[in-house]
Amino acid sequence: MFKYSKTIKSIVALILVVSFHVSATDYQEISIKSGEFNRGKKASKEEIRGWHIDISPGHNLPAGKGTAADGEQLFDDQCASCHGSFGEGVGRNPVLAGGEGTLKDTSRPERTVGSYWPYASTLLDYTHRAMPFNAPQSLNWDDTWSIAAYVLYLNDVITDEDFVFNADSFAEIIMPNADGFISDQRPDTNNKRCMKDCKKPASIHIIPALLGYASGAEDSINDDKSTSADNTEHKIGKQIYNTHCKLCHANGVAGAPKIDDKATWGERLKSGMDGVYAHAINGFTGKFGVMPAKGGAPDLTEAEVKAAVDYMIKDLEQ
Amino acid sequence: MTDKKWVAEVNEKNQETKALSTKIPHQETQAPERRKFLKQAAALSTAVVSASAIAAENLPPNVPDWQKTLGSPVNTNPYGLPSKYEADVVRRRVPWLTADSIASVGFTPLAEINGIITPNGLAFERDHAGVPAIDPNQHRLMIHGLVKNPIILTMQDIKRFPTVSRIHFIECPANSAMEWKGPQVGRLQFTHGMTSCCEWTGVPLKYLLDEAGVKPEGKWLYAEGADAASMSRSIPMHKALDDTLVVFGQNGEALRPEQGYPLRLLTPGWEGNTSIKWLRRLEVTSEPSYQREETSKYTDLLNPKDPDKSNLIGKAYMFSWIMEAKSVITFPCPEKPLKKQGKYVMNGLAWTGSGKIKYVDISLDGGINWKQAELNGLVLDKCWTRFSLEFDWKGEELLIQSRATGEDGYVQPTYAQLRKARGVTSIYHNNAIHTWKINKSGEVESVQI
Repeated sequence: MFKYSKTIKSIVALILVVSFHVSATDYQEISIKSGEFNRGKKASKEEIRGWHIDISPGHNLPAGKGTAADGEQLFDDQCASCHGSFGEGVGRNPVLAGGEGTLKDTSRPERTVGSYWPYASTLLDYTHRAMPFNAPQSLNWDDTWSIAAYVLYLNDVITDEDFVFNADSFAEIIMPNADGFISDQRPDTNNKRCMKDCKKPASIHIIPALLGYASGAEDSINDDKSTSADNTEHKIGKQIYNTHCKLCHANGVAGAPKIDDKATWGERLKSGMDGVYAHAINGFTGKFGVMPAKGGAPDLTEAEVKAAVDYMIKDLEQ
Repeated sequence: MTDKKWVAEVNEKNQETKALSTKIPHQETQAPERRKFLKQAAALSTAVVSASAIAAENLPPNVPDWQKTLGSPVNTNPYGLPSKYEADVVRRRVPWLTADSIASVGFTPLAEINGIITPNGLAFERDHAGVPAIDPNQHRLMIHGLVKNPIILTMQDIKRFPTVSRIHFIECPANSAMEWKGPQVGRLQFTHGMTSCCEWTGVPLKYLLDEAGVKPEGKWLYAEGADAASMSRSIPMHKALDDTLVVFGQNGEALRPEQGYPLRLLTPGWEGNTSIKWLRRLEVTSEPSYQREETSKYTDLLNPKDPDKSNLIGKAYMFSWIMEAKSVITFPCPEKPLKKQGKYVMNGLAWTGSGKIKYVDISLDGGINWKQAELNGLVLDKCWTRFSLEFDWKGEELLIQSRATGEDGYVQPTYAQLRKARGVTSIYHNNAIHTWKINKSGEVESVQI
């Protein structure tokens, strides 16, 4: 009897296991072994060199060199329109300098290259891979070292403007917040699954949302208030401008005429609308700056580019 | 009439409809516009009456208009589009959140999502330098570094490896970031819309790494995208060999451009940005690369309110990868108020990067008492899980909350607990219990308590 019930138990247990297995929603594993496919082709050293752009603290530091003195003009030309002449940031663009000692500020810490970034290699890496925002990977290595040196100079990490920043001197740069990072300590909360009388009703204070339901969702086509842009053409032009042109033409990046700069636009228009359209569509390099073809958005049709130009100059005649 | 003419005519009609739909005032318009609309509506009450008269013509006992004429031909829209009446169901940006619309985020309209799959057109979008237009025939994945055989793979090469399909959520660690200091934005789309959940199809990364042959000293993987930011992160080898996929399929079709077409990494349960989009390069390394997106950004600056943790003030967590358990009620919510008293089934979504959801509990009184909700449908690893609870609304004010518990026993924290542990300056990884306040009118507000 004892044996019997034990058998029953194991059968029940087996059934439970089987039925659990059947009803569980785990995925089936694939049984094909890896390492036997011989796919792809061998990457040559030259192919790797072209793509191997990452720079980490002790790895792949590039050739070339620069000083903060060299970097100042480059920064003013290529970076200041978004980051400010002193790295203070324009609009919502990242602040690059200052913020020293603010990390313990419980409301508004300022996370800059100097106050927060742990490694100078990240500055070289990111400046080369992703900056200037509208022309990534366009800086040569000397310019990258120079701009990085200047940003570190703005942060008082480099104090001598003639300090030669290169792979040899890299190790001399110690970032102020190098020790500011710790490994992930989460889970760092310890909530309990309490079900009843978990807190005192009197402890509940309701704080309403600051911006409420109308928290500023965009529908750029819908929020068009200006009368001159009240026709369909300018609505399309505005949408394209906001998506593809605004970055440079709102701030004057790379010599772009600002949208409200009538004098500069007037100069450009002297040669006629056809010339302006052609430069916008095909790209143009002039003495003041660079206009990438179709603003760097090759998918735009010529009509869309023209609509964006029309939108930008719509107020000139008035 | 030839087929071509039909298509042209219908497309023209669609264009008109699209143009119209952008002008329809709806609940999502900004408050002043909403008020303006209400005023206009009042002034034009006769128009409103006639509009409702037209609407009634389609109700019983009348036969609706659309039953008395032929519909559009088959394949009018060869890809397919949602009904024009769903024009409000779109991703939205919060313009003041980012410097421009290129490095920005589009939020998923969570209130409109059914089940646990996010349609591809609505999956939240976070781009660091815009969406590249990549020709898949010219796209390559390079695997090099500490490997025996550095290789370059075409898309065709990759698709010939064994593939799997997995349903996983992706969440940006900045989801709910606007709410750390206090409640700021007033609708679900913006409080929680930086997450979505799709079925992803691709190759387990271990197959590709085995093909290249990782050397014993290869402990990290550097992953890089082919966008203008060359978006990049370091991933430890244990995750790369565990459940990480290299995916090309999303909900049955190719990845959408804004989701990384033609190829992306997928690191289930981890910070969304580690699932590198437009994946072009994997480099096996011995150390992390300390990229901008794992030093300057996506690190968690700490200012704990807990006096026992004062030594952490001004320090920051680095490599905080896992998205911890989180949940939110998606009905009712600000976008979906209660219309009248009576019985309702409230429901929502829960997820955890640690595994499966075990329990979701719901409170109607601001967290004093809790009831266990039902989990509905599939309960999968690192995947959205639907939950629901029936309730009877008698017109009273309610403070509704949901609280997720993972199979690892981790319980979603309160705001007080999170702030005690980290302060309010972390930006990332806000997974606090969220509160909706149901007003006597049935409208729903986002609050904190």
